[in-house]
Amino acid sequence: MARVIVVTSGKGGVGKTTSSAAIGLGLALKGNKVVLIDFDIGLRNLDLIMGCERRVVYDFVNVINGEATLNQALIKDKRVSSLSILPASQTRDKDALNKENVGKVLEELGKSYDFIVCDSPAGIEAGAMMALYYADEAIVTTNPEVSSVRDSDRILGMLASRSRRAELGLEPIKEHLLLTRYSPKRVEEGEMLSVEDVEDILSIPLLGVIPESQAVLKASNAGEPVILDTMSDAGKAYQDVVDRLLGETIDFRFLIAEKKGIFSRMFGG
Amino acid sequence: MADASIEFKGSSFTLSVLHLKTLVLADIRNDLEKKVAQAPDFFYLVPIVVNIEKIASSVDYQAIKSLIEEFNFTFVGFTGAVSKEQRKIIRELGFSFVNTTKVDTSQKAIVAEEALVKEAEKTVATALSKLYTDKVHRGQIRSGQQVYAKGQNLVVIGSVSAGAEVIADGNIHVYGSLRGRAIAGAKGHHKAQIYCQKLEAELVSINGNYWLSESMEQHWSSPVYIHLNDNELTSSKLI
Repeated sequence: MARVIVVTSGKGGVGKTTSSAAIGLGLALKGNKVVLIDFDIGLRNLDLIMGCERRVVYDFVNVINGEATLNQALIKDKRVSSLSILPASQTRDKDALNKENVGKVLEELGKSYDFIVCDSPAGIEAGAMMALYYADEAIVTTNPEVSSVRDSDRILGMLASRSRRAELGLEPIKEHLLLTRYSPKRVEEGEMLSVEDVEDILSIPLLGVIPESQAVLKASNAGEPVILDTMSDAGKAYQDVVDRLLGETIDFRFLIAEKKGIFSRMFGG
Repeated sequence: MADASIEFKGSSFTLSVLHLKTLVLADIRNDLEKKVAQAPDFFYLVPIVVNIEKIASSVDYQAIKSLIEEFNFTFVGFTGAVSKEQRKIIRELGFSFVNTTKVDTSQKAIVAEEALVKEAEKTVATALSKLYTDKVHRGQIRSGQQVYAKGQNLVVIGSVSAGAEVIADGNIHVYGSLRGRAIAGAKGHHKAQIYCQKLEAELVSINGNYWLSESMEQHWSSPVYIHLNDNELTSSKLI
């Protein structure tokens, strides 16, 4: 059985798509069969981040409407053969999806993949509900600031009440907290909520902390998920996230601001 | 011989009279449900006399009594301008028939009545505060969620997030942080209290008296209980 993981947040711009791309690719690099689904119908971005925007012929909505088969719509990643992307439609809106047909698509994908990673749109409307409905696990992407934390809390409430698992009274969705754009320096200066603050408010297990990094923007523009940038802090942090999802226990890093070394202090580095 | 151990004396009381306009039990039940739902505390165990003046003579008295008692009223008897035969039937069935006396409209009587009603309400309220059962919610109550313990106390084993709302007709206990809104004694209950391990609420309210965060500075982030003292909200440290 495939693990269906939704990457969600409530608030927009916190790094859902970046995280979906990095985690999906990371899982595939570890030898898993992974499919990434873009649920953000009308604002498709995942294909850009994955660098396959020029290869989109059919999309998720075509599959839902029976205008194309899954195999026609799935785009095989050029870097890792075990990774596929199901792109969103750019010309339709979020009402184009319906629960029944999405369920059928996920069921069919579940037969041949180990992981189904659903990149959720922002908000708490139909599109976001559709992305989380069939999830077994949720990666709640949160920035260390109050409005993002509040929206994540709202989404956690939805996960517990509006998902298929909740409706059928099954074991609840497994929740993971992914803190993105974290800047230990700004936390020390009191400008940003700390990991502990966010954990205290949301009280769900921490999956990872991604430090604020120039590498993320660079990676997005290049269409190369940041996890491939193995030299960057963000890339390393996402690698840790992937390992933790696969059951390994790894210490959290990038939580403390780097102290300037004596040489850089002397020479103003 | 010593004084008798008992003594009979006449007193007048204000009783609620339920006027029936139909014989259809389902309709009566429907309307009673609506009425009682508006103020369950007020009607609880209230003595009721049923006026059958407006309905036909073939009344199922036992069924009416059972229906009244189903709603937790205390059934007293029947009343109304009915025929002698009907009164006889009522008595033979073992129910009392209550005669109405002329209404005393003097100011004194009204004041006395008001005092009586107040006394009765107080008795009902004290009885109720003992009767509330607990609704237990396990887990955090998230932003946008609302939990209402209707006619009960609410116990939350977990925190109440900012943007969430907990409401109870009785007391509220939060075994965690209270960051959202808490409304205790929602249907009017001045003895309701709010307990929490960490007070960081957006709003707390008891019996309609409320505080916003700014009024909670004294015990902010502390374990406290909040109660009414002479209709004024007061917070006290738990530990």
